[in-house]
Amino acid sequence: MKHYFILLLVVLFFAVPAGVLVLISLAPGWRFPDVWPGAFSFSGIAFFLQQKEQIFSSLASSFVFSLLTVGVTFFMCLLPAAVFARNDFTGKAVLEGLLLTPALVPPMTFAMGLHFFFIKLSLADTLPGVVIILAIFSYPYMFRALVAGFQTMGEHYRICARNLGAGPFAILWQVELPLLMPAVVAGGSVVFLVAFSEYFLVFLMGGGRVASFTGLLMPLLSSSNRSLAAALTLIFLLLPVGLFFILDLSLMRSYRKKGMA
Amino acid sequence: MSWTDNRAGRLISGLAPLLLPYLVLFCGGVMLTICQSFGVFTPLPHAGAALDAYAKILTDPAFFSSFGFSLGVAMASAFCAMAAGTFLAYQVWQLPAKLATAALIYKIPLILPHISVAFVVLVFWSPSGIVASIAHYLGIIQSMHAFPNILYSGWGLGMVLAYTLKGTPFAMLLVLALLVRFDVRQIQTAAMLGASGVRIFFFIVLPRMAPAMHTSFIILFLYGFGSFDIPFVLGESRPGMLSIHVYNLYFKHDLARRPEAMAILTMMFFFAVIFIIAYAKIVQRLENGVRKL
Amino acid sequence: MPRRCTPIPTLLIILLPFLLTFALPARAPGDTLLKTPFAQIRDQARDTQVRWYMFGGWAHVNTWVDTYVAAEMKKRHDIDLVRVPMDAGVFINKLLNEKAAGRKTGSIDLLWINGENFKNARESGLLFGPFAGRLPHVQKYVDPDSITHDFGFPVQGYEAPFGRAQFVFEYDTARIQAPPKTIPELKAWIMAHPGRFTYPQPPDFTGSAFVRHVFYAVTGGHEQYMAGWDPDLFAQKAPLLWDWLNDVAPFLWQKGQTYPKDSAFLDTLFSRGETAFSMTYHPPHAQNLILQGTYPETVKTFVLDDGSIFNTHFTAIPFNAPNKAGAMVLANFLISVDAQLSKYIPENWGDFPALDMDRLSAQDKNRFQAVDLGTATLKPDQLAAVAVPEIPAAYLEALEQGWKEHVLDR
Repeated sequence: MKHYFILLLVVLFFAVPAGVLVLISLAPGWRFPDVWPGAFSFSGIAFFLQQKEQIFSSLASSFVFSLLTVGVTFFMCLLPAAVFARNDFTGKAVLEGLLLTPALVPPMTFAMGLHFFFIKLSLADTLPGVVIILAIFSYPYMFRALVAGFQTMGEHYRICARNLGAGPFAILWQVELPLLMPAVVAGGSVVFLVAFSEYFLVFLMGGGRVASFTGLLMPLLSSSNRSLAAALTLIFLLLPVGLFFILDLSLMRSYRKKGMA
Repeated sequence: MSWTDNRAGRLISGLAPLLLPYLVLFCGGVMLTICQSFGVFTPLPHAGAALDAYAKILTDPAFFSSFGFSLGVAMASAFCAMAAGTFLAYQVWQLPAKLATAALIYKIPLILPHISVAFVVLVFWSPSGIVASIAHYLGIIQSMHAFPNILYSGWGLGMVLAYTLKGTPFAMLLVLALLVRFDVRQIQTAAMLGASGVRIFFFIVLPRMAPAMHTSFIILFLYGFGSFDIPFVLGESRPGMLSIHVYNLYFKHDLARRPEAMAILTMMFFFAVIFIIAYAKIVQRLENGVRKL
Repeated sequence: MPRRCTPIPTLLIILLPFLLTFALPARAPGDTLLKTPFAQIRDQARDTQVRWYMFGGWAHVNTWVDTYVAAEMKKRHDIDLVRVPMDAGVFINKLLNEKAAGRKTGSIDLLWINGENFKNARESGLLFGPFAGRLPHVQKYVDPDSITHDFGFPVQGYEAPFGRAQFVFEYDTARIQAPPKTIPELKAWIMAHPGRFTYPQPPDFTGSAFVRHVFYAVTGGHEQYMAGWDPDLFAQKAPLLWDWLNDVAPFLWQKGQTYPKDSAFLDTLFSRGETAFSMTYHPPHAQNLILQGTYPETVKTFVLDDGSIFNTHFTAIPFNAPNKAGAMVLANFLISVDAQLSKYIPENWGDFPALDMDRLSAQDKNRFQAVDLGTATLKPDQLAAVAVPEIPAAYLEALEQGWKEHVLDR
């Protein structure tokens, strides 16, 4: 009994809002005091179809810079994570703490300082500029995931492969990376989500030139057209869910092929 | 390369892909913020003394009320999210397997961007919103103006609700990650020895979850303190959150006021750093007294 | 330990974005453009992209630009229009930053601007021009006397007219039978109906305009301010305004503790019944939202007898616009008869035309007169009867700063 109550609580807090969003997107005229929408219509969604080019292009842009951020953070963190997982040196704990701070301190503190210089370097208003600032802000998640991944993996596989004569690149590509995949996916999904849902940093460094889905959504939230805002938010929800589903499926398939799962 | 034969050299070259961007961009960015607060490297040549911006900010009572307000909102939301997340994580962990998969929907607010969570709070809790409609239906209130002022009361409740809604799944995620590795036989043993559910929770499970709880509290507190997205949608006119204050100073006023925005950011940065260090030290001291299983 | 050479390629990958930024940007010709005949400018702009930065808080305006204007620009001039939503204050700040950083090529081609933002931009040297007089449609259809000043600040051809606006209030006839007719009546109404009225927080321009209306009404009219900025006059008259606003503050929505952050939010409050009135610079705005289904059909507009402020809004080109030719072609199209007519139709936007009707052909004049502004919109003669001009920009800034000090922070 207690279990169902807990489940009910979880559903109430976390799923009901999503359900309500679905209702709002289909009922633009829903207002107080109706507990259930009085009339359903597609006019909110029709608006969406009118703007579909812009919606798709900003979705695509968000997608691209989020994926690039995952890539950049991966390359930034791969070697250092290996070093951290396999070595002990004085000041390691302090250094680890220092390296994790960009995710803790308010991003405004370093991003706004950098902004003026990004303008001078012509990095502002560009995709690379947005990717760079997002990478600095979100690499700690990838770093922690990779360190944990390396620690779980241990050194045995690498030493075995070396003993069998593999070069460092072959070890990395054929032995370590496949074993690291779960950690990469875990860290990568967090970085992707963080980059995809970020509004302020993209707005600051992108200057309106780098389109983003959050940038499209923001002005709609205080407007009277709630249907469109709700519909776009639902897309926001469905896209990562769909992505992770596909990722999960393809990972499972490749693990099965390799005999790892 | 001879410098890679030296262990320190190898360590540094291995850490370089991370250390370089860290030093140049993060530390560099913070340095630039600090410099601009002193009037160095600003877009317009600074016309006063180096500490002018600080003097102006620290003598403005609106700054202190904003600072206190941001602290309050962050503290309340981080605490609520951590407490709710811990409680729910503990309960969800005990669910039988079939129900546990259903409980995965707790991850929904994690995926939603902060601005959407703010929108959800707006839709539910505004005087013309859904909770008000339900209250009206149940006869509790007669008109929307009788609905208590949740979002605009001056206490930042709207923002606390949004941060809590976003933060609870986050705390749940972290705590569940620890609970998954917990040996359930320890609980069974304690129950066999006569411990009540409450005792089990506080003396056995809680110390195990503590690291995740502390981590989530720090992260959620600092996020609630300095983030921009949620206050931009739900913020109230007065007192405002510090991040909105900085945004207005940076984007909506003369460039001459840039050092003031940077001064506030510098103070926020040092506050965050001091908070992390102090919290970590306190936790360390508390945990040194507890024998870890 | 095996040697690892992988740090080097990794570093290169990270440096790649930095290397990309040193690719040379395209140069945009500046002053020669002002001497080029317009037909050549049109050719130069063919098959290019124009980025138009404008206020993005009005969904119907965004749709009109994204559908009609973008399609026509593609069809007529083969120009790819990209609309970027950004508040005027924010893009002025962006341009200031870029000017201070020495950025010769920016990312904004055209701006939607007026009032104090235009004044700030001109005073900081952020605009390209004078280009307005070079646009054929401006030469043909616009009365030059109507665009000499923007909020009392000389235009001198640095911005091209885009539309006209006049301030109106909106109310729901189903809930209110007799709206107040003057500012004193409004004050009495607010105090008799606590929690039902509010205005957007300045510096939102609709909220700022409301404050200006009250200022004109309680200080004895607008003529005294038209001569220019007079700090003594302002210091003398402003307290009357602060008193009025502070007197009604406890009776406002949320007891004046918080104000809607922009006019779109006030519209939402009004459409959901939380407030009894909304306000807007566009008389057909109510009709537009009725057609959208956001407002109930019983909504109508009204103006106060004390006066309703009207102004012209413009488009301008930044000093570092990468595609100035394209921007000029776009600005010219926006002031064409077709674009102004499409903009005038309430289903699209309902913004009044900036054209001089007497300069149009009889046929075009008829097309404008045939537009049905809808039952919710006031007739042009009703609006003209109470029209008063905008206050000089320096007063506006003083009013916004003063509002924050004397009303918000009280």
